[in-house]
Amino acid sequence: MPTPRDKTLWRVLAFFLVVLAVFAAAAFISIRNINRSVAGSDWVNHTHAVIQETEGLRSDLYIGDGAAHTYVVTGDPRDRRASTEALSDISDHLDILTALTRNESGQKEEVAKIGVLVNNRLEFLRGILAAHQSGDTAALKAALLEDAGQPGVKQIERAVGKLKDEELGLLTDRDTASFLQAQTTRWTVMAGVVLDVLLLAGAGWLIWDDLGARKRAAKALQQANDVLEDRVRDRTAELASSNQSLKSENLERRWTNQGLEHQLRYNNLIISSINDLVLVLTKATNISRVNPAVTKLTGREPHELIQLPLASMVRLVHEGDGPMIDPVVQAMNEGRDIKEQPAIVTDKLGREIPVQLALFPLRDKDKIVGAVVIIQASEGRKP
Amino acid sequence: MSAETKAPRAHIMVVDDELVIRELLESFLTMAGFRVTPVQSAFEAEAIAARDRPDLVITDLQLEESDGLEMVGRLKALLPDTPMILLTGVLFDPKVVREVLQKKVSSYIEKTAPLSRIIEEVQRLLPGR
Repeated sequence: MPTPRDKTLWRVLAFFLVVLAVFAAAAFISIRNINRSVAGSDWVNHTHAVIQETEGLRSDLYIGDGAAHTYVVTGDPRDRRASTEALSDISDHLDILTALTRNESGQKEEVAKIGVLVNNRLEFLRGILAAHQSGDTAALKAALLEDAGQPGVKQIERAVGKLKDEELGLLTDRDTASFLQAQTTRWTVMAGVVLDVLLLAGAGWLIWDDLGARKRAAKALQQANDVLEDRVRDRTAELASSNQSLKSENLERRWTNQGLEHQLRYNNLIISSINDLVLVLTKATNISRVNPAVTKLTGREPHELIQLPLASMVRLVHEGDGPMIDPVVQAMNEGRDIKEQPAIVTDKLGREIPVQLALFPLRDKDKIVGAVVIIQASEGRKP
Repeated sequence: MSAETKAPRAHIMVVDDELVIRELLESFLTMAGFRVTPVQSAFEAEAIAARDRPDLVITDLQLEESDGLEMVGRLKALLPDTPMILLTGVLFDPKVVREVLQKKVSSYIEKTAPLSRIIEEVQRLLPGR
């Protein structure tokens, strides 16, 4: 698919091609008309030559005819000579006319007819000249009587007049045609120029419109780029901010974890470092946690003690006679501490170790969730 | 802002024998725009303090070779005007902590306190930095 730029280029090229075509057509028509005008001019010259020769023939005919008649009256040799010269010129005019019209059939026939009539007249004139010269007055008189009213001259006059009228008519037609050709040339050139100017104006408008469109497109592109750059900048800032927040959150989380871990480790360290036995009981008095001192004294590992009832390892010493209520359960139920309670711890080998037991209920929001038991062995039995 | 007019970054020395704490505090304080020197021991802290005077000291209470409070005492001799923050998680009663420590350190922060609390304290002790 062509781009807008290509489209404009093709349109401008098309415009220029049309301009060239119009220019070529106008030039062709103009040159053809000029050639026709040149040809018409030759034809006009030819026609004028025919008319001139026709006029010359008629003029010389009158001169020769008049001189011949004068001579037969006066007998003056000058008239005879003038008549002879005129008759000779008539023959020349006739020859030229024949030559000029040899390629035009209609005129050729006309000239042929004129030639017959002129020759007849020349024959007559030569006849009266010869009759006068020979002194044959009767023959001369008879010939002149026969030519009374000069019918031969009138026939020639009509034939020559007809030929001349025809030539003048052709001249008029050719003049009209020449005028029309000139008009055609003028209008062709003017129309071509106007059309070319309009086409060039159209091409100019196309280029101008294309330049405007390109400017608008470039401006729109620049604006789009600016918007995009702004968005990228904003988005980059957002991402940088988010990244910073994530880093902060990550650091905060790691910091919290290490704080809790540190605290837990330190608490464990404290409990593990106590030489007395520390046990954590659930609400059901089962062992849930012990410190290393328990293992040292009893030989039992933590996993062996977890979930066992405290009573499985520690037996409280009962000093009364009645049935014993478990003081541990009672203290936990009542939320009461037990201190310095004599008790017996049984180790892994079944040996019994006398100890002092203390119990402290574990409270979580005023609710007893278990207890811490601290057992002290006698000095000699401490782990 | 030109380099000539830009204030130099405040120098904070972080003293803790735990690598993870040193790294976390270094990353956090650097991100907040401070220059941080992480230090592992009291001996090293005193050497750094003499060579590259810090604007603030953050130290753990418990150090491998020494006691943080002892070190604070020795640093005070070197840097009498430098504020010091004690970080610890082993003291239990805030009231006791305040009474014992307020004359020795500028501030006391539990290790379980959030980092935002630490930066608040740093900014309070280093105003405009």
